[in-house]
Amino acid sequence: MSPPPFAAQDPTHQPRVLLVDDDEVNLLLTTVALRDRGFLITEATSGERALELVLDWMPDMVVLDAQMPGLDGFDTCRRLRAMAGFEQVPVLMLTGLDDDASIARAYQAGATDFFVKSTHWSLLTERLNFLLRNSRTRIELERSKARLARAQDLARMGSFDWRRSEPGLAMQPEGLRVFGLPAMELVSIRRLLRMVRNDDRGAFLEVLRDQLRTSSVLALDINIEQYEHHERVIHLEAEPEFNEQGHCIGYTGIVQDVTDRVAAEDRIRHLANFDTLTGLPNRHQLIMRAERALEQARRMGHQFAMLLIDLDRFKVVNDTLGHSSGDELLRQVAQRLRACVRHTDQVMEGALEAVGARSHRALEAVGRLGGDEFVALLPEVVGELDAQRVAARVLEVMRTPIVVGGQECFVTASVGVAVFPRDGDSVVDLLRNADVAMYSVKDAGRNAAAIYSPTLAGTARDKLELETALHKAMERGELVLHYQPQVDVVAGRMVGTEALMRWRREGKLVPPNEFIPLAEETGLIVPMSEWLLVEAARQARIWRQRFGFDQSISVNLPSQMFSRSDLVDKIHDAVNGQGIPHSMIRLEITERSVMKEDQNVNPTLYRLNQIGVEISIDDFGTGYSSLSYLSHMPIAELKIDRVFVRDLGITPHSTAIVQAILALAKALGMRVVAEGVEMLRQMEVLQRLGCTVMQGYMFCRPVPPDELEQWLQAAQLPRSEAWTGLSPGGVITR
Amino acid sequence: MTRQSSFQRRRHPVDPGGAGAPPLVLDPAAVERLRQLDPDGSRGFLAQVLRTYELSLLKHLASLAEARASADARRAGEIAHTLKSSSASVGAMRFSQSCAELERLAKAGDTPAMVSLALDLEQQGANVLTVVRAMLRA
Repeated sequence: MSPPPFAAQDPTHQPRVLLVDDDEVNLLLTTVALRDRGFLITEATSGERALELVLDWMPDMVVLDAQMPGLDGFDTCRRLRAMAGFEQVPVLMLTGLDDDASIARAYQAGATDFFVKSTHWSLLTERLNFLLRNSRTRIELERSKARLARAQDLARMGSFDWRRSEPGLAMQPEGLRVFGLPAMELVSIRRLLRMVRNDDRGAFLEVLRDQLRTSSVLALDINIEQYEHHERVIHLEAEPEFNEQGHCIGYTGIVQDVTDRVAAEDRIRHLANFDTLTGLPNRHQLIMRAERALEQARRMGHQFAMLLIDLDRFKVVNDTLGHSSGDELLRQVAQRLRACVRHTDQVMEGALEAVGARSHRALEAVGRLGGDEFVALLPEVVGELDAQRVAARVLEVMRTPIVVGGQECFVTASVGVAVFPRDGDSVVDLLRNADVAMYSVKDAGRNAAAIYSPTLAGTARDKLELETALHKAMERGELVLHYQPQVDVVAGRMVGTEALMRWRREGKLVPPNEFIPLAEETGLIVPMSEWLLVEAARQARIWRQRFGFDQSISVNLPSQMFSRSDLVDKIHDAVNGQGIPHSMIRLEITERSVMKEDQNVNPTLYRLNQIGVEISIDDFGTGYSSLSYLSHMPIAELKIDRVFVRDLGITPHSTAIVQAILALAKALGMRVVAEGVEMLRQMEVLQRLGCTVMQGYMFCRPVPPDELEQWLQAAQLPRSEAWTGLSPGGVITR
Repeated sequence: MTRQSSFQRRRHPVDPGGAGAPPLVLDPAAVERLRQLDPDGSRGFLAQVLRTYELSLLKHLASLAEARASADARRAGEIAHTLKSSSASVGAMRFSQSCAELERLAKAGDTPAMVSLALDLEQQGANVLTVVRAMLRA
């Protein structure tokens, strides 16, 4: 039987009293007196009867007459106490006034208190109430103690006390259970220490001694081994206790089994620090490690390196084989990359100091920055050669094909290397510079490694700026067209002009070779070319109105434009918008472009030809010349590249080539224009060989449209007599 | 008025003179305490106590005579102990004191003195019984 669960707590509850007295008169009197005062009385006229009654009933208290025939009060009390559930029930022993011996016996028999028999009922009542209150408080305490024990048990927690003066720890059963120990009074510290994992014990003791010496609050996690291979993590938290003199006399605290919590925390830490796909350290962890490595390198004066590894054309794999195959590929790549360094998976969070001078070695790892970007962190290198060796290893391990989704994939990587301190003194700088180096590899054709150099950075930075500015150049109208006349030296007149794009950036002209390749790379060249067409058509119309211009303006179009199906429409729109004939626009295209995009370009060229737009092959002789395409395509004009013109009159080869081009053009019915004519010598040779249409600085550099008009005024022609003089009637006609 | 007269009437049996018994066999103060356990007399409590006492007294006086006859000091002492407290409860104070004395003698093992006091006690007890019965009749 357990104490009545709720009744004793309820203040309105009538206390149940078992009243035992052999004197019936007294029994009656007491009963009546107590009933009147709110007690629920059950009477018994003998100890035997009382013991019978409590076999299946539990009073809140028992009032026992000490002296009774048969089983007296003392024996009755003793027997009651021996019954389960009656250990704590209050028992009041009624004794005679002058009976000291009985009082002592009453306590010995286990009575809670004694009361001298009298007819002062209110005194008895007060005594009974006092005992009941005590009992209730005790029951409450017991209950909350039990609740605490239960809570501690659930929380796998227990409290303990340690006194300097005592040999061991006093620990509740709950606490002992945390250690997997049976209940006992005191547990020896030695025994607990033996449970601490061997390799932790020394450090633990040291910390413990340290804290005890300074009487500090203890809060630590200890790894213990309950029995073989059954490891638990115990959290220990204790506060020192002081005596009146302020001396630490011991500690009071709790122990808690936090194995599960620690495991959960480990898992969280892992998620926060490692990439779920590849299991490699993630960006956060990588940066953290890099910061540590940098700190260490700075302190110890060594170098460290970061390799940025980017897979080449990973997007293609993802797009063609699907994302799951892409993921699989990344996993396999991660495995291979891991093998290239002394990879450590240990999470780096705290300070390194505790682990020794060479501990930065443990930072070495390959991590995944995101996407198909990986970083190898080399915490100590002797020089860039070390880093290069690892980079070479990375390229090497990628050589074997990776099988994903039943398909062999050849994956290469571009690796950029940055070395501290030379290539940056912060992790951000190093990463950015590794990135710059990596992009230089990509630009140079991929599948290689490059060490960062400031030149690369300059290029990259300028390029980025340029790209941004170029975007804005279109909106701001910073793009302009300059025109270079094509001159028939025999006829002594201009026969056409080439429009050349220029970028007037902050008042200065940016050379075309600095922005055209970038525009092609970024795709900006398409809108730029569209603008160029419209602008050239507009200029043709203006000139036609002003001085009856009826020749062609040649415009350079990149191959991208020819592969677009709407090129013909664009040209239509451009010339129709200005009300000029299609023939006033001539398209220049490199032979490389024509060859590359043969299938798409060919029909476009035919259609253009049909509507009267002539095609001119630019830089002729330098590309993949194919005689068959020349004969099949509607080409009106060949422009001899400046390289051949440059050496005319110096090397016989150039003359031979020009001769051949001229012969070819003649045979195929094409016109020929010589580019880059700068000197009289070149002009003379060209003229002798039969090439009369020329373009170059010798006649006029590319100029804004109004200057071209001025140039057209014969009087202002620079060195006009030099070439006009060669031809009779050498007057530039309008 | 009515209440007052009823109180007077119930007081009457306590008056020893009215019962023709020796004065102050029952202490009026003790009886009054008993009465206060049942202030308006609705439960007839006083009568119940007296009746219980009467029966107890009868039973114990008989037992005492037996114990005296067989010179059983322990038994006599137990009886005296019980009579001592119940008699005190109803206000038979002199009788209760005699019981206490008998109990002491019995405990001390003075059997001759106990036997002679027991005889006296039986006589006193008979007197108390008479008074109690008179009160119950009234």
